[in-house]
Amino acid sequence: MKLACIFLCSLCLLCVSVICSAQTIHWPDLSQLEPDVRDQIKSQQDILISTIKDTHSTDTKLSAAYGAMGEIYHAYSLTGPARECYLNANALAPKDFRWIYLLAKLDQLDGRVDEAIRRYRIVTSLRPDLVAALVNLGNIYLELDRLDDARSNYAAALKNDPNSPAAHYSLGQVALSRRNYAEAVEHFEKALALAPDANRIHYALAMAYRGLGNSEKAKLHLAQQGPVGVRVADPLMDRLVQLVEGARVHLMRGKVALEAKRYEEAATEFREAIEARPDSVPAHVNLGATLTQLGDLKGAAEEFTRAVAIDPNNANAHYNLAVLLANEKQHEQAIEHLQAVSTINPNDAGARFFLAQQLLYAKRPDEALKLAQSLYSTTRALQHGALVGSALADLGRCAEAADWQRKLIARAVEERNDELQAKLKMDLQRYESCRGLKP
Amino acid sequence: MRLLFIALLLLAPQASRPIFDDVAAETGLNFRHHNGMTGKFYLPEIMGAGAALFDYDNDGDLDVFLVQGASGGRLFRNDLEKQKLRFTDVTEKSRIVATGYGMGAAVGDINNDGWSDLYLTNLGSNQMYLNKGDGTFDDVTKNTATDDPRWSTAASFLDYDRDGWLDLMVVNYADFSVTNSPNCYAPTSARDYCTPRVFRAPGNRLFHNRRDGTFEDVTVAAGVDREFGHGLGIVVADFDDDGWPDIYVANDGDPNQLWINQKNGTFKNEALLAGAAVNRDGKTEAGMGVDAGDFDGSGTDDIFVTHLMDETNTLFTNAGAAVFEDRTRETGLGTPGRRFTGFGTAFFDYDNDGWLDLLVVNGAVQLLPELIRKGDPFPLGQPNQLFHNTGNGRFVEIVEQAGPSFQLLEVSRGAAFGDVDNDGDTDVLVTNNNGPVRLLLNQLGNRNHWLGLRIVSKNGRDLLGTRVDIVLRKNRILRRRVRTDGSYLSANDPRVLVGLGSATQVEAVRVRWPDGTVAELKPPPVDRYTTIKQ
Repeated sequence: MKLACIFLCSLCLLCVSVICSAQTIHWPDLSQLEPDVRDQIKSQQDILISTIKDTHSTDTKLSAAYGAMGEIYHAYSLTGPARECYLNANALAPKDFRWIYLLAKLDQLDGRVDEAIRRYRIVTSLRPDLVAALVNLGNIYLELDRLDDARSNYAAALKNDPNSPAAHYSLGQVALSRRNYAEAVEHFEKALALAPDANRIHYALAMAYRGLGNSEKAKLHLAQQGPVGVRVADPLMDRLVQLVEGARVHLMRGKVALEAKRYEEAATEFREAIEARPDSVPAHVNLGATLTQLGDLKGAAEEFTRAVAIDPNNANAHYNLAVLLANEKQHEQAIEHLQAVSTINPNDAGARFFLAQQLLYAKRPDEALKLAQSLYSTTRALQHGALVGSALADLGRCAEAADWQRKLIARAVEERNDELQAKLKMDLQRYESCRGLKP
Repeated sequence: MRLLFIALLLLAPQASRPIFDDVAAETGLNFRHHNGMTGKFYLPEIMGAGAALFDYDNDGDLDVFLVQGASGGRLFRNDLEKQKLRFTDVTEKSRIVATGYGMGAAVGDINNDGWSDLYLTNLGSNQMYLNKGDGTFDDVTKNTATDDPRWSTAASFLDYDRDGWLDLMVVNYADFSVTNSPNCYAPTSARDYCTPRVFRAPGNRLFHNRRDGTFEDVTVAAGVDREFGHGLGIVVADFDDDGWPDIYVANDGDPNQLWINQKNGTFKNEALLAGAAVNRDGKTEAGMGVDAGDFDGSGTDDIFVTHLMDETNTLFTNAGAAVFEDRTRETGLGTPGRRFTGFGTAFFDYDNDGWLDLLVVNGAVQLLPELIRKGDPFPLGQPNQLFHNTGNGRFVEIVEQAGPSFQLLEVSRGAAFGDVDNDGDTDVLVTNNNGPVRLLLNQLGNRNHWLGLRIVSKNGRDLLGTRVDIVLRKNRILRRRVRTDGSYLSANDPRVLVGLGSATQVEAVRVRWPDGTVAELKPPPVDRYTTIKQ
């Protein structure tokens, strides 16, 4: 059976509506999207339209075309049209679990909990081996505090994949909800062994150990906790990620790689971002930062310089350039860029601190002193105060510097800041020894 | 059969009547927030603004200060007569000239003269307004040394050293400037508002009241500079029950902070081990509004934080001694919170049944594709939500009964809670970004009995931080506290309004004053307000 589709208006304009007996598809306004993204969506729209127009298209082919269109919309978070496309794809091929699964994901996202449960159940009956569907269904039950239902789905997931860290982790959460801390520890430990990079598990472990009264272990795990969570292997959703194109996506992927210290991969992504959008300042700045990590300081400086040329108000590019120049002992040039940062963002205490340091290195202690004093009066931070002492000493006002330093040390003692205290004391010795040597 | 039929007849009208009616326009509260949108997606445009409910003229009813974006906040005097509300704009008379790009308001009596003063947070310099007691205010920002030139959001007055003088904690959000604001994009690849993470977190500020009309910046000395975050919400309560006020700061995208008072002028952030920094998955969430209250009648202050859509609003229950557990899903609050981005909120007992309910006002921070498709020029609108505490540790969302204003798609931000018409139930003032203010008058609460307490010092200062235990009967103690802080960028009624259900009297009222001393008071009469002086 083929769905009868009628075109209501011309296909060349935006917001074209295609009315089918199953579902009206409201095509989104693409005018605000990146050109690459717009082209990609338009091209898929053209494929869909030609498939619909083709009287020889089978239901399977038409369903696949709707599904593919839905996936692209879904990938770009255009969830309304994605849902409409999936509904048509599902109507044409009711046994194809993919469209039901992706509809369930949208339901879950939109808070349509009952619909999501109904659809995940259909998916698990069509594909009982799909671990992602079982874990997602379990997660919904868990959030609804239906712990038995959650548990049975996670258990089914484990039956399919005994090494699923997501299923173990979630079973741990069920146990934690029931304040069954020992069982929670057991599951979280298993999850962590299977996914050692997922450092957020340490937090859950810490809470479970705290529940057991073992505060030492709790603290140990808290010290290791981080931002990486456990995720279930989900081929359908992974496919959506791969569909995303455009400078922004490469930028995003690059940032993820950079954070994970995969510098080569990050550089490739940032270069692709620049290729897609040569005037992308964040791409140049991030590529510069990545090249710095790879030891290519010349290349990094070139990228920051390009960023500054495109956007002279980009504080990060100026700051990073200043860091590179300072490392090369080109203090005067570094000062120029740091002054630019201070003009762009007068509240950036870090940049002002750095600038004061560079002024000292450039033998401009008068200016350094003025800046350090102003900075300290705003922040009252001890390390900023220490810079005042250095500037005074560089100006030969060693007695003043020593007096100033003693006051800072007293504050550091009061605040129990041992590390800074030691540094301040070392500097004090220097100021005391220069006493009398300079006017 | 017949009895059942009668019962249904009695219940039917109650069910159909809305709990809250918006009466802002009809009572003269004519105010519309303008965010000064430039089309350049500057983050501050969508973050404000708040409001204050406070009795600036000490005539026994709550007046309203509404924070404005670009063109100056307004003070409205409440001319309540025989429970008939009428507001008059007295901004010019009051000499309040709110010059900054406004964010929030905090209320406290900084000089112990019995007149409530007003602190305004801004994108840029803040303002401290001293209430002179004659209907006018003086800008004493410079004299008191309480400015913070950064982007301040929430603020709270507290007596952290228990010296009888209110100190001030100011929460800052992001090192934003027009020149350092990058272009940001939605997952669709279209331009959108940035998250705060693209800007540095500037750190908060604590001012100590020197008792001579000036304040000292003790941020560093008190140790509250040791952790940074993009702060939006603040609530002060004695979470570890040691008699000293602690500070909870809700951060947007960074771990929340629980500053435990060390009783020597310093604080230590113990949020992580306490279990109140991140959600149960160890994930930092986008904390916006916050409140603390004893929702389960366990005698400890629990914490509720509102978040972005696709995150839950999170409820941390306090097992005592500031040991928290994320029990969001067990209380039924998990799924409903995921649909919207929450801001202003409070634990309050809208039906006076003795159990603290919740209200969350919502509004997105990233453009909503469905609203864009419908041609909405400011596509961030979402409905607000009311949650009823069933008394068994769970909340249930009240949708239709809540009132027509809960069906509106608006960009709500602030919410201030208080009994505006003095009829014995809690009303809610809701502010909308780039939209009109709403005054949600409670039409239901005073059907149950209640107890209203204003707790003041001998000079008439509202004793913020006082803990009040109302003993209804053995094993049923309602614990509340005197406060003006919590919610989002807003200041609440300092009076304690306690729902008593069907109880027509209370057995005892026990008070722990801010200085740590305790007293048992003669039970005051119910269904009216009583002022208690220390």
